[in-house]
Amino acid sequence: MSGESPALLAAESVSVALGGVGVVHGASLTLRPGEIVALVGPNGAGKTTLMRALTGLLAPASGQLLVGGQSLGGMTPRERSRRIAYLPQGHVFHWPMAVGDVVMLGRHPHADPFTGTTEADRAAVERALVATTTAAFAARPVTSLSGGERARVALARALATEAPVLLADEPTASLDPRHQLVVMELLRQAAHSGGGVLAILHDLTLAARYCDRVVIMDRGRIVADTAPAEALNPARVAAVFGVETVHVDIGEGFAPLLRRPL
Amino acid sequence: MTTPATRRDLRLDGVLLAVVLVLALASLMAGSAPLSPQAVLAALAGDESVAGVIVREIRLPRTLLAMLIGATYGLAGAALQGLVRNPLAEPALFGAPQAAAAGAALVIAFGLAGATSLAVPFAGVAGALISIGGLVAIAGRRASLTVTLLAGLALASFAGAATALVLNLAPNPFIALEIAFWLLGSLQDRSIDHVVLAVPFFLVSWVVLASQAGSFRALTLGEDAAASLGVAVDRTRIAVVIGVALGVGAAVAVSGAIGFIGLVAPHLVRRAVSFDPARVMLPAALAGAALLTAADIAVRLVPGAIEIKLGVVTALIGVPFFLAMIFSERRTLEGAPS
Repeated sequence: MSGESPALLAAESVSVALGGVGVVHGASLTLRPGEIVALVGPNGAGKTTLMRALTGLLAPASGQLLVGGQSLGGMTPRERSRRIAYLPQGHVFHWPMAVGDVVMLGRHPHADPFTGTTEADRAAVERALVATTTAAFAARPVTSLSGGERARVALARALATEAPVLLADEPTASLDPRHQLVVMELLRQAAHSGGGVLAILHDLTLAARYCDRVVIMDRGRIVADTAPAEALNPARVAAVFGVETVHVDIGEGFAPLLRRPL
Repeated sequence: MTTPATRRDLRLDGVLLAVVLVLALASLMAGSAPLSPQAVLAALAGDESVAGVIVREIRLPRTLLAMLIGATYGLAGAALQGLVRNPLAEPALFGAPQAAAAGAALVIAFGLAGATSLAVPFAGVAGALISIGGLVAIAGRRASLTVTLLAGLALASFAGAATALVLNLAPNPFIALEIAFWLLGSLQDRSIDHVVLAVPFFLVSWVVLASQAGSFRALTLGEDAAASLGVAVDRTRIAVVIGVALGVGAAVAVSGAIGFIGLVAPHLVRRAVSFDPARVMLPAALAGAALLTAADIAVRLVPGAIEIKLGVVTALIGVPFFLAMIFSERRTLEGAPS
């Protein structure tokens, strides 16, 4: 069904409606091991809705979602949560809990009420803290951190699940330039260690620089799903985003440079 | 979660339990005929003196109810706060005791049941269920605290109006007066029958609420992230509605309206458990038991011919406390990123 190499996550003509209004129309995409894929598109294109459906938070009106070849809809929330880690927008923390405890929440899918925290949980949290360089403030209240630090903690929480699939909704939003690059490096690292990462991005340069493929959504439909240079060609960017761009050669690839709104 | 934290929690729970037990002893000693600790212990052992009867039949039910109701409110507050992820949530602000009172008052006023029949707690639970369920339904999934509190205010006002209507239409002015006093909230003159009546409701409420502790912790990350971690958020919401309604409904049925324990108790212990919404639950219940037992001792120690009602005391202390919390939280409330 999903081709020769097994897809970690596959959507097959998925449509999603919110309050009776179609938001995503017939979207198909696959995520394979080792891949980091950008999901881009103008505001209101349906990116977050599609991602929430991929996470299992929204049931599609039609189409099929497969995780490792199994139907997502047929899984219990717990099975799902072990296979797909989701990092929502905003990096919200409602209580000033310690960073280490927050990251431990990523182990919730593996939690067993009778054994409590296991050695495996502690090891996974440690790896996530080290990977995101947040171990130094593991004991601090998460609400006392800066935006960049919070973003890394939020990512550490998602990484701690050690799920094969990571879906990240605007992981770089409202971060300073350095932290945007740090977060993208971390996501790429997570993908290259064998997982699959799908990230909603608004920065086309980050998408071009860090991702293996770029999926473009426009008014609820996927209009491109290919290598960054092809997906983000100036004609398509002009048609979808209404901006004029030029591709700047930066030695190791290209960067789309925004010139003016059309 | 880690071992040192567990050990710290155990120590905290141990200290709080000791405080509750000391207060319980003091509660058995306090009253118009003060008794020595030895006399209380002899009475509990079953001696046949007048003191024995006073302790066993008058003070013991009252003390047990103070502990049980305090624990129930403490736990209910912690659970609601965990669900809506805000320390200002409290059953009374959501109209739960008021609605429970309206339900119970209706049953009593129209003589549908005696004051110690099962119909009263069931009516209380029904009232609380309507108010908390209505609140959760109106406020919806992504409710801001403002919407939640406004909906709670509206529901509390409506419950107040419903109670007023019951009093208004009460067939007998004596019953109306009795209900009006009962609404003020008190543990005076309760018997062991009241305890037996309410305990099953409390136990179910505690089990239901405590079972959601892990979900409250995951909800720290918001509903979508919690759901992606395998938490059935809708089930958690229903469990909290039912758990709070059972506890508060039964509490109101035997004691009238006693507010603000659910706000104050979790707040007192939250820092000691590093703001963990799951670890806060047991200490919040113990702190609630301690607070209400202490308040019920206080109303007996204040000199005067008329005993001040317990619900009046908790409101007089709880509301300024609430205002102080709003004051200290106002930056968050004004919409600064949390």
